[in-house]
Amino acid sequence: MDMHKRIARSAGALLWVLTIGTIALAQQPFTPVAVDVNKRLVKLFGAGGFKGLPSYGTGILVSEKGDILTCNNHILSTSDLRVHLYDGRFYQARVIAREPELDLALVRIDSDVDFLPHYDLAKAAAQPLAEPGDWILAFSNQFKIATRDEPMSVQRGVIAAYAELRGRRGIFEAPFSGEVYFVDAIANNPGAAGGAIVNRRGELLGIIGRELKNTLSDTWINYAVPVQAKVEIQRDEKLTTIDVVTFVKEAIAGSYKQSEKRAKIDRGAYHGIILVPNAVAVTPPYVEEVIPDSPAAKAGLRPDDLIVYVDGELASSIKIFREIMKQYGPGTDVKLDVQRATRLVSVKLRLAEQPKVKAVP
Amino acid sequence: MIQGNTMKSRLALIVLVIASVRAGAQEINADLEKATKDAVKKVAPSVVQIVTQGGTDMVVTTPKGPVFRKALGPTTGVIVSADGYIVSSAFNFINQPTTILVSAQGHAEPFLAKRIATDKSRMLTLIKIEAKGLPVPPAAPKKGIHEGQWAIALGRTLDTRRLGVPSVSVGIISATNRIWGKAIQTDAKVSPINYGGPLVDIQGNVQGILIPASPRGDGETAGFEWYDSGIGFAIPMEDVYAVLPRLKEGKDLQRGLLGVRMKSQDIYSVAPEIGEVMKDSAADKAGLKKGDIITEIDGRPVVRMAQIQHILGPKYDGDKVSLKYKRGDKVEAINNLTLVAALVSQAHPFLGILPMRDDPKLGVEIRHVFPKTPADKAGLAPGDRIVKYGIDKTMAAFLGQKRGAQQLLDWLNTQLPGKEIKLEVARKGGKTETLTVVLDQLPGSVAGDEPKLPDKLPEAASVRKALAPLEVAKNLKPAKAEAAPKAETGIVKRATADGEHKFQVYVHEEYDPNIAHAMVVWLHPPGKNKDDDLEEVAAIWEDYCAAYKIILVMPISQNDAGWLPGESDIVIEAIQDTMKRYTIDPRRVVTHGLSVGGQMALHLGFGARELVRGVAAVGAVPTNIKDNQPAQRLAFFLVAGELDPLAKSIADSRVKLAEKKYSAIYRQMPNRGREYLEDAQLRELVRWIDMLDKQ
Repeated sequence: MDMHKRIARSAGALLWVLTIGTIALAQQPFTPVAVDVNKRLVKLFGAGGFKGLPSYGTGILVSEKGDILTCNNHILSTSDLRVHLYDGRFYQARVIAREPELDLALVRIDSDVDFLPHYDLAKAAAQPLAEPGDWILAFSNQFKIATRDEPMSVQRGVIAAYAELRGRRGIFEAPFSGEVYFVDAIANNPGAAGGAIVNRRGELLGIIGRELKNTLSDTWINYAVPVQAKVEIQRDEKLTTIDVVTFVKEAIAGSYKQSEKRAKIDRGAYHGIILVPNAVAVTPPYVEEVIPDSPAAKAGLRPDDLIVYVDGELASSIKIFREIMKQYGPGTDVKLDVQRATRLVSVKLRLAEQPKVKAVP
Repeated sequence: MIQGNTMKSRLALIVLVIASVRAGAQEINADLEKATKDAVKKVAPSVVQIVTQGGTDMVVTTPKGPVFRKALGPTTGVIVSADGYIVSSAFNFINQPTTILVSAQGHAEPFLAKRIATDKSRMLTLIKIEAKGLPVPPAAPKKGIHEGQWAIALGRTLDTRRLGVPSVSVGIISATNRIWGKAIQTDAKVSPINYGGPLVDIQGNVQGILIPASPRGDGETAGFEWYDSGIGFAIPMEDVYAVLPRLKEGKDLQRGLLGVRMKSQDIYSVAPEIGEVMKDSAADKAGLKKGDIITEIDGRPVVRMAQIQHILGPKYDGDKVSLKYKRGDKVEAINNLTLVAALVSQAHPFLGILPMRDDPKLGVEIRHVFPKTPADKAGLAPGDRIVKYGIDKTMAAFLGQKRGAQQLLDWLNTQLPGKEIKLEVARKGGKTETLTVVLDQLPGSVAGDEPKLPDKLPEAASVRKALAPLEVAKNLKPAKAEAAPKAETGIVKRATADGEHKFQVYVHEEYDPNIAHAMVVWLHPPGKNKDDDLEEVAAIWEDYCAAYKIILVMPISQNDAGWLPGESDIVIEAIQDTMKRYTIDPRRVVTHGLSVGGQMALHLGFGARELVRGVAAVGAVPTNIKDNQPAQRLAFFLVAGELDPLAKSIADSRVKLAEKKYSAIYRQMPNRGREYLEDAQLRELVRWIDMLDKQ
């Protein structure tokens, strides 16, 4: 056969292979990532199965020795906690440490295992935060679809927002009070808590949280606790900041001390605003009267002003206004945005000590 | 050797190829990701956060059925003019907030906003802030929007503190021309998180404004149940800009209707043959008639009703269409047919009398004549008996198949105010006269008219023969006397047939089954569903129940947060069960409640028209006012505390009810919040109930 023809033909074949290959790979842009991430995740089986609570969950391997980061939820409340690895091996496990303020727990496989694929949390946390619009993949054993060596369910989406989980004070309680990733994939399903949110390249971004409803909008929330998350906790009666990496490091080392339940500190201070009677469930905070010479009077607040924001936080009712004010002590400067007739006015209040009640002679 | 080398180089080549292909796929993804984020950043300055304060509880449909919900969370809007006009979803304002605030990127302080108008066809609300030089986003041309294009949904509700990048959900355009030609559909996640926000293409042009929508429902909340489902809707931005000048005028926009009912309910497979032409509708004015078959609208041939809906769906009140129709063998054409909004409601006619109750005799004995009414002007007096009625020379007699007062009312309901009618009256003195009367309309059904109720009505309201057989016209067979079921008095505890839902009935001790009683259905406020709470209500009503012959029915909500619209069936069953056990006057069944209970009372009033004749709501706003119906009277007694932030909305809603020709009155309690009636209003309410059978 003519040499040139042969070359041409094989070149053609090669081109053909090339084209097909490109298409095939474009068809499966996340496959290598999915295969890789799956190896670093585990299925957890524990307590639950009643009151609609699932008895299964998901975890993320954070050491080659079988340390697993997961959500600090009800499934851990058992002496019979089991772990299924990606390859079908399964083990008993036990809880090493919990941190309710992070809503995370560290679980360890009870057998001697080694060389497990895992995430280096310190490395993951050293990355910059993801931004809204970043593509993400969510991995979890939602609805217990997978057991043993079956892979997790993978969902695709984007980071919807990075924002505080607690939408508004006193409206709904969230298990975690810091900033989280909201995702636009419907990721927070039964059993998904403790699963992983990773970026396009498979790098760990966050740990999938619980099923949670936002009562502000009557919608279910899909969120993950970022690997960079930090919270203020109380330990040895002192406030200190703890982050996910430190929690995991100390937990693995066996030295982690769980936070104490924080006593609710209601500071509160004197402002001198008398609001209208709290007549209905959501009475807006209208000023009825301003006590002369009080901080409110000095700031120029007037009767009939409607308090809208307190330091940028919406005070949609008298109840919420009071709750917000509780966190400020005497001497604090507080900015109030009030509606005065058809204008919005900003005033600054320096809160004072509660005036002493004069003894009646 | 040569072969080996070739193999090696081939292998190397393949490895290289795969590596570069993989890198290529990653690059495509990286480019797409970047393009998405760039598009978001381009539109972000035009996306504002809206918060509202004050307002009512509202009905929203959730996957578990409708619920009453307070709007507390922030919502989203899109700047549509540099001088401060902002468009948002009407969903965000259904609770009629008293204060609207807008936060825009680059402005440290929020703006106060005014509501300008609502497009009730596309469910958009236009608000306005005082600002200049705001960034207006470019609209993606409607023609260029196609299935499969990237569609990015943006909202400003998650991050309540910062106005950086809006929240993002990425999907594609699923379809265009949805919701009868009004909306585009996307699989991006659409929910209260981004209702009112923009749907953006990958170049950063706004494709549309996100709204909840459903092809099967109207109203602000229709389609909410589909939130985050992958079925989301947006009104094309081009259409939004097109309607902007009209919305800026400050008048709400309504859908334009033809005003016909089709012969068949089947909109997909039957020819669009007109079954009924509504009086005074666009079709009526254009001369369309029953039996006409519509063949063409705006130059587009139509063979099914669904096609007509697609063409007319996007049209507003006042828009013009051209139309062709077939009558018999001929095809006729109408040009410039002006569509109109919901048909003008007709007021109920009013004669000005109260009939004597429980009267088994033929005709209607007059219990009371209201001053300055047609009956008064014609000289009717208490004790007179109407024996015949009619128009011109055709006078109808009473038959005795139903009670006289009911027969007269049913006939009056077919007449319009302003009509001249004749009444043959047997005078108290013994003479029989024929009187001419010009009908008025029910008091309270004029926007400006706020009727004062008489302080006192004649105490003798009943002849106490409710169980006696009705006297019948000569050639008819009389019915048998009814046996009175054994009647328990005091607080009677009952349950629905399935035993699942409890309710209580308070029957005063002097209950006489020969007197038809009014029924007040008390719908308790949230949490006030214990025995003690209901006992307290019965104690407040006790004396009135005995004096005015009222039976109190107290259904119990299972829900701590208050009534759910889904619990209507329980209430209806409680009403029907009580009607079976006691003698109830069907013309005086009233739902009554406070706050969420009041909201439920209103919901039942509009929803159970066949049973409910009056709604007495305290601290609740009628939000979804349905059209009045001639045959089913429904009156409203609205009360608000002066301090209740809803007071103004409630007062305004009285006018809206009157505009729909419902008889409605509004009373305000000085120095009160959202709390129960004081004596003065309660006494008036009881008299109002006593007058509900006026005609």
